[in-house]
Amino acid sequence: MAWIPDRYRELRSLLRGERVDDDVAEELAAHLAMRMEENVSKGMSPEDARAEAARRFGDVSRWQRETRDIDLGHVRESRRVELRDALARESRQALRALARSPAFTVIAVVTLALGIGATTAIWTMLETVVLRPLPYAGAARLVSVRHPAEVPGTGPSKWGMSAAGYFLFARENRTLEDLGAYTADYATLVTDGEAERVRLGRITHSVLGILGARPAVGRLIGEADDVPGAEPVAMLGWNVWQRRYGGDPGVVGRVVETSGGPVEIVGVTARGFTLPTPSPFESAGDLAGHYVDLWVPLRLDPTARAVNSHQYAGVGRLRDGASAEAAQRDLQSLTDRLPELFPNAYSQGFIDEYRFRMGVEPLRDEVLGERIVRTLWVLLGAVGVVLLIACANVANLFLVRAEARRREVAVRSALGASRLQLVAHHLVESMLVALVAGALGVGIGVALLRALLAIAPSDLPRLAEVGVHWTAVALGLALAVVAGIVFALYPALRQIDTEALREGSRGLSASPRQRAVRSGLVVTQMALALVLLAAAGLMARSFGALRAVRPGLDPAGVLTFTVALPGTKYRTMEEAAAFHRELQARLAALPGVRAVGATTGLPLRDMGVGCAVVFREGRPYEPDEEAPCVYVPRVTPGYFAALGIPVQGRAPEWRDLDAGTGAVVVTRALADRLWPGEDAIGKGMNSGGSGPGEAGHYRVVGVVPALRAAGLDKAPAEVVFYPVVRIPGTWLWGPVTGPTYVVRTALDDPTTITGAVRRAVAELDPQVPIANVTTMERVVARSMSRVSFIMLLLGVASAIAMLLSAVGIYGVISYLVGQRRGEIGVRIALGATTSRVAGMIVGQSLRLALAGIAIGLVGALAGTRILRSLLFEVSPTDPAVLLAVAALLVALAALASFAPARRAARVDPVEALRGD
Amino acid sequence: MRLDLLQGTLDMLILKSLSRGPMHGYGIAGWLQRTTDDALAVEEGSLYPALHRMMRRGWLAAQWGVSENNRRAKYYTLTADGRRQLRLETSTWEAFIVAVAKVLRASDASAPSAAPGAA
Repeated sequence: MAWIPDRYRELRSLLRGERVDDDVAEELAAHLAMRMEENVSKGMSPEDARAEAARRFGDVSRWQRETRDIDLGHVRESRRVELRDALARESRQALRALARSPAFTVIAVVTLALGIGATTAIWTMLETVVLRPLPYAGAARLVSVRHPAEVPGTGPSKWGMSAAGYFLFARENRTLEDLGAYTADYATLVTDGEAERVRLGRITHSVLGILGARPAVGRLIGEADDVPGAEPVAMLGWNVWQRRYGGDPGVVGRVVETSGGPVEIVGVTARGFTLPTPSPFESAGDLAGHYVDLWVPLRLDPTARAVNSHQYAGVGRLRDGASAEAAQRDLQSLTDRLPELFPNAYSQGFIDEYRFRMGVEPLRDEVLGERIVRTLWVLLGAVGVVLLIACANVANLFLVRAEARRREVAVRSALGASRLQLVAHHLVESMLVALVAGALGVGIGVALLRALLAIAPSDLPRLAEVGVHWTAVALGLALAVVAGIVFALYPALRQIDTEALREGSRGLSASPRQRAVRSGLVVTQMALALVLLAAAGLMARSFGALRAVRPGLDPAGVLTFTVALPGTKYRTMEEAAAFHRELQARLAALPGVRAVGATTGLPLRDMGVGCAVVFREGRPYEPDEEAPCVYVPRVTPGYFAALGIPVQGRAPEWRDLDAGTGAVVVTRALADRLWPGEDAIGKGMNSGGSGPGEAGHYRVVGVVPALRAAGLDKAPAEVVFYPVVRIPGTWLWGPVTGPTYVVRTALDDPTTITGAVRRAVAELDPQVPIANVTTMERVVARSMSRVSFIMLLLGVASAIAMLLSAVGIYGVISYLVGQRRGEIGVRIALGATTSRVAGMIVGQSLRLALAGIAIGLVGALAGTRILRSLLFEVSPTDPAVLLAVAALLVALAALASFAPARRAARVDPVEALRGD
Repeated sequence: MRLDLLQGTLDMLILKSLSRGPMHGYGIAGWLQRTTDDALAVEEGSLYPALHRMMRRGWLAAQWGVSENNRRAKYYTLTADGRRQLRLETSTWEAFIVAVAKVLRASDASAPSAAPGAA
């Protein structure tokens, strides 16, 4: 018998899968049949022959199963081996091919990596900030409790609960398991004689339970600690515990000095635990600022007189089955009863004029805010577009490459390479490019994320939680894999035809359909780039408009910092004022310093939430007129000169404090409201009403023309600047212990005197720390950070998009010039001038660009709408912006076609006609 | 009486039968039966897992062919590896037999007190 043992063929027949079963069955059946035949030939009856054969064979189905299982195992293993070998072979081939065209490889990898990197970075931010649940147990059932209100002239804002409101809601509600109140503040913590300004969380004990706090050591602040007169206790935050106490569990039970007096440490909160308030602390950008260092109980007094003072953020945990909407209705009905329950603090007029109401919403919504979510989605959309453009470019590159290799593929196909093998060949090559780009992209993404965190807007919540996560790496690689498959499949599926061999060499040029695909890609790129450019242009116009707003102060050369006086040492307003007076005098003596002042609320940073009611002397409000609730920062003499705020009339001086004249300054906006049509100077006012013991009035000595205290995009604010010491017969908040200093210098960089400032403060009182040293220019810039952040990112994204589109259009036009060489040669031979030929090529580029621009304009008109709430004084369909970006793209298309056009004009007709 | 096959010897017997030339499974069964005068109690079906296992190990190759009486049957043949394996198993087996035989003889000769009169 002549046959060649061919394991390979055997294997291949087995590779075809289900044949294994038939194969084994046939083999065994043949055995049984032969035995039967032999038995019959020995003279047995067919029945006996069959029975004898079966007896000798044993259990047929068992042997068949065992044999089949062996074969199937064999097949699986062979497949693995084959696949591994094929992959290694194709990878080696692909690597060689890629190395032969380094320009293609580098451009494809870098383009794709940029797109993947940008997408990964923004996605990581979005995922952490928006999509991931808040870091509290059962976060979905947490709600925030605030009072939305509209202060006339300043627009909607959110107020906290009042103490009376908190007790009412906590006692009477039917929808919450528990309700807590808290504020974020600063305090001084003294460890081993060294004072440090720390972030203070003042909380009702219920806050800890609601947020699911766990003590790292010691115990939580409990109900018994949270009543008036209880022994003063505190918990440390994890970070400060590690930093200042080296994580020593022995800190529990120690009594430490704070600005609020000595407190006993009863425990430390677990790592990463903090308040849910978005950027509760003024120094945003300082990521550590996210974490509370010291927790103390609020010790609110349920029997205290109700005051219309709203300073406590509320957080509650919904009962099982209760929704945020139900809690909203529940607490709104209680809010409606405030005027009836506390007539001294609330009037129906107040509630109506300020549209004061209850706002219960999921804690997550409160922390994030609609604008933040929108901002991040817009940015993700932008980088997604960049990724699409990058992919279009790389796809185009692969198409060109595939066309160039059409003959090679056709030859391989004719030589018997299967369709699958050809696809695999393309796939391996594009996967290599994509995976390298993916790895590079993840690296770019990480770098980009770091940069983003450094410039992120001050009100971006949860920044401290943002970090590179495995999901980002996974996303980057997943994008790369998808891109790789797409790049491979299109050219691969198109290329597999043996027709190419039969065509003449000229026939190997691209088909019209292919040309259309490539032009389509370029048109799409142009359209996408236009949308991005339009968005970036709108943000730039908003930024320009914001910058054009005059803030009403002069930030140049101004240094600002905060100090924290220990409350135990500076108990009265006078003691604190004496400190400030002395410190200001010492600072003013420093070289280069022109003026010094201090305030409890820095414009454009600290003003924007909270207000106090003001009353005017001798003219009570009409029943239908509600007292204005305005910003009430307190300032030391020198403040206005230091911040460069012009004052009509005069600014208060130290002798006003000495003489107790109660000199105050108001803004024009407030003056016009309190005394319309009159000169405000000389008028009296206070913030305590005219009840017994509150008969004194402050005297307006100056008027500030316009101060955008709450933000450049807000109307000039209504502000009264109270002094740091009160005059008899009036009410003012306690001693000014944590003010922000403003130091006007003649220096270009005012931070150069920081060392001298520190020394001056330490010399005066070594227990007073200073913090948040920055320049007023930075404060102003930060107040625009949301707009500038979006503008910058959209700007970078659209610049990349523009660049990639230019590369794309250049590639296509160059390619077309190459394709039309013969035709161009004929035209030149027939007398077409150089400029005519060049014009033809540029025209072709412009046609593509115009098509893209037309589509892009439609997209921009539809798409920029979502930017509306992020814009300032510019319409989302601003014609100037749209026109400008369209013109920019036209210029870009002309520019990109310049080199190919020149090449076309230089075509030598003789050479071109001689053919390839 | 039929002898039960010792563990592992079936492979050796199959390799031996194939050393004479390509055979199908039924042929192997018949040859074993004839050469041992049907002394081995082997279920014929058990040949097939053994054949396929050895094929997987690369000792055998297989090919569909046509039998003497015109029936499609799968023919197995020894590969070079298979021949080497057969030599190895044969020598191991022979060494084993010698060793076992020595033991058996030794126990006969040196049974000093168990059965004094049984020589």
